[in-house]
Amino acid sequence: MADLLSISSIRERIFNPTKHEATVARSSNPFAQTSFKGNVLTADVFVSENDKTKENEANKISFTGKLKASALVGSIAGVGNRIQQGIESAIAFGRRIYSDAVNCWDKLTHTEVTFEPAKQAISRMGAKMSDAVHSVFEPGISKNQIAKMEDLSIPRQLLMDNVQAWEMAV
Amino acid sequence: MVDKKIVRNVKNIIDGLAMHQNPESVSVLEDIGTNSKVDEIREMTAKALVQKNMPESLRVVITNRGKGINDMSTGVAMCTINELLSLEDKTEAIRILEDTVENHSDEEVRDNARSIKALMALS
Repeated sequence: MADLLSISSIRERIFNPTKHEATVARSSNPFAQTSFKGNVLTADVFVSENDKTKENEANKISFTGKLKASALVGSIAGVGNRIQQGIESAIAFGRRIYSDAVNCWDKLTHTEVTFEPAKQAISRMGAKMSDAVHSVFEPGISKNQIAKMEDLSIPRQLLMDNVQAWEMAV
Repeated sequence: MVDKKIVRNVKNIIDGLAMHQNPESVSVLEDIGTNSKVDEIREMTAKALVQKNMPESLRVVITNRGKGINDMSTGVAMCTINELLSLEDKTEAIRILEDTVENHSDEEVRDNARSIKALMALS
């Protein structure tokens, strides 16, 4: 009977080899197909890559329970310090800006700024332009002509006439 | 209302006389300009006389009562003082002011000259 079973199993191996290979393929052992003295190694002596990954993950420090809580508190405390440092730096920055502004204001208040020269220059430039425009469109008495006159009786008479005209108009 | 052309003519004549090299131009300005009843004309004339920076022209605005720094109009007097303070070379003006403070017969003219001299020393 045992022989019959063995024959049937052999026949199965011969005529249905894929089924047998599929069974063997479950193991990662490359020698699983090889029997040692007829004994097939059933135990997987090689470590699977998947198992290794799982093991590595297991070896990693996992924060659980009190450790996780303490780590969380520590991180929060660190964040607090960082926030405090940030606030302090912001305050220092604000103080620096404030002191700079105060210094700037002091400088401005203690510096006498006058635009008189600019005003005078603009005024002179405007007067010159006005004279130039009037001399072009309304040729009247020019100061350069007066300055070059050798006979001063003419400017005297001109001044007298115009002053009288002005006084009459007032 | 004064015609702008008349104002411009008066200003040009006074400025031309201020530029004139002939000393007689000072007498023209003194006779006509400083004796005008219009404050603006007296002001323009006083400025022109100071700008000439000649002993004769400075004497007109410093030593004469009612003219230049001694004018009845505050505006004319202040304008003359301002022009004196703006002079680049104040030597002649200070000399005439000192002479006026020491030798002038009118006390008010002397006081004015003393005040302007102190101002010029500070400027």
